Amino acid sequence: MNESPHGSSAITRLVESFHRLPGIGPKSAQRLAYHVLRAPEEEARALSEALLDVKQRAVLCGACQQISDTDPCAVCDDTRRDRTVICVVEEPLDLVAIERTNGYHGLYHVLHGAISPSDGVGPEDLKISELLARLRREDDDAEAVTEVIVATNPNLEGEATAMYLARLLEPLGVSVTRLARGLPAGADLEYVDNVTLERALAFRQSVE
Amino acid sequence: MPSRVPRVTKTEAVVLKRRRFGDSDRVVTLLTPARGKLEAVAKGALRPRSKLAGHLEPMTHVEVVLAHGRTLGIVTQAQTIEPFAPLRDDLERLSAGLYLLELADRFTVEGAEADAAYVLLLTALLRLLRGDGQQLLVRSFELALLEATGFRPEWQRCAACRDEVTADGLVWSPLAGGLLCPRCRESHPEAEPIDVSVVKVLRLIQDAPYEEAARVRLNQRVAAGLEGVMHDLVRAMAERDLGSARFLAAVRRARPNDDGEPGGAESPDGDVTYTPQEPLEAPGHTGG
Repeated sequence: MNESPHGSSAITRLVESFHRLPGIGPKSAQRLAYHVLRAPEEEARALSEALLDVKQRAVLCGACQQISDTDPCAVCDDTRRDRTVICVVEEPLDLVAIERTNGYHGLYHVLHGAISPSDGVGPEDLKISELLARLRREDDDAEAVTEVIVATNPNLEGEATAMYLARLLEPLGVSVTRLARGLPAGADLEYVDNVTLERALAFRQSVE
Repeated sequence: MPSRVPRVTKTEAVVLKRRRFGDSDRVVTLLTPARGKLEAVAKGALRPRSKLAGHLEPMTHVEVVLAHGRTLGIVTQAQTIEPFAPLRDDLERLSAGLYLLELADRFTVEGAEADAAYVLLLTALLRLLRGDGQQLLVRSFELALLEATGFRPEWQRCAACRDEVTADGLVWSPLAGGLLCPRCRESHPEAEPIDVSVVKVLRLIQDAPYEEAARVRLNQRVAAGLEGVMHDLVRAMAERDLGSARFLAAVRRARPNDDGEPGGAESPDGDVTYTPQEPLEAPGHTGG
């Protein structure tokens, strides 16, 4: 009797591997596995090489902690960037989102999470000590960092992280700022929560 | 005939926590007065234009409309009653609030009645918002929640044999759930000495009305002793470490010019020493 539910231990192994990925349920895992089975061999080879490549080549930038092919990463290595400002983000994808705006030309620091005590994530689990070391390690000939923009998410975890960071950074003599909070583009005022509306009123701007 | 759960329920709730669910949804954990703790899906809550997301942040008092699905309920409407916004701008009060939420979450189970826990949590958050001293507020919540959930610690008699205890050489054990007499101490190698002033304050908080207990001013030694005892007790009862307790300690360590002890920066009236006025004797204690 064949113990593999798919008739092939190789397919079962692939289904189980896909199932371990976030957001992939058992049905999706089966669909993906059978898609790979039916796809040309080159496609399967490219997928397996991409999987191995990401484990073998991707490194953390020693300065900003972003995932990169090189250390330092392209942003940290770019001499045209403003080295007096560091934008602190929670996740690597947040950095990508800010870069997409083309409106920020300083450096970054990726925390790889936010303080979330109920999930067991404390300050010691984030790249906070690396940020402090970075600010203290400024070379004499390098431009000193004058501002740290805390771009954590405007939710409970993001606020806790921002306030905790501000407390640690202020003694170092850098200005700590926070991204503005207010109404999202396309919002409907009737449905906006009290906190957002209160902040939007507090930080209102004159109409030009 | 068994009563049927209506398909749609409107209820007040305190949002305890939330987690991602798929690409754009969240599952929120709500503590409600009538239906206890429950999880419900907030569809689209991860989208920037979500009408629900802002109302379903943890540490928010909300009114929600829930549609009951086969497994998880679905939040169809949410309206903030109290956002506790000032707590989110104050690291000390925010970290204390996170601790209250995690305690309420750990000591309630889904589907079980939790009316008392709901009232205790909401009251404690409102007191935190009002600016009450955090040490007594949090200790009062811990003791009341433990009592409401069947874990009332024993600070009057021996927790193991109910015998009387004397003020000399007081010891306690988190596993036993309170003080121990000399005889029972032998079977509890984890038992530790406990300061007589700490026991006195614990008794006061446990048995006196909150407003009366809140008038007590703690010096740092007693405040640290109280916090250490209660954190050990909570850890033993919950059978795990609380992440928010570690965060409270980290926040305190990061406080400028602070020695890392609790109680030093919280009292608006400054640091006032608590002096026990009564001899430490259990009701009916004969000195034996």
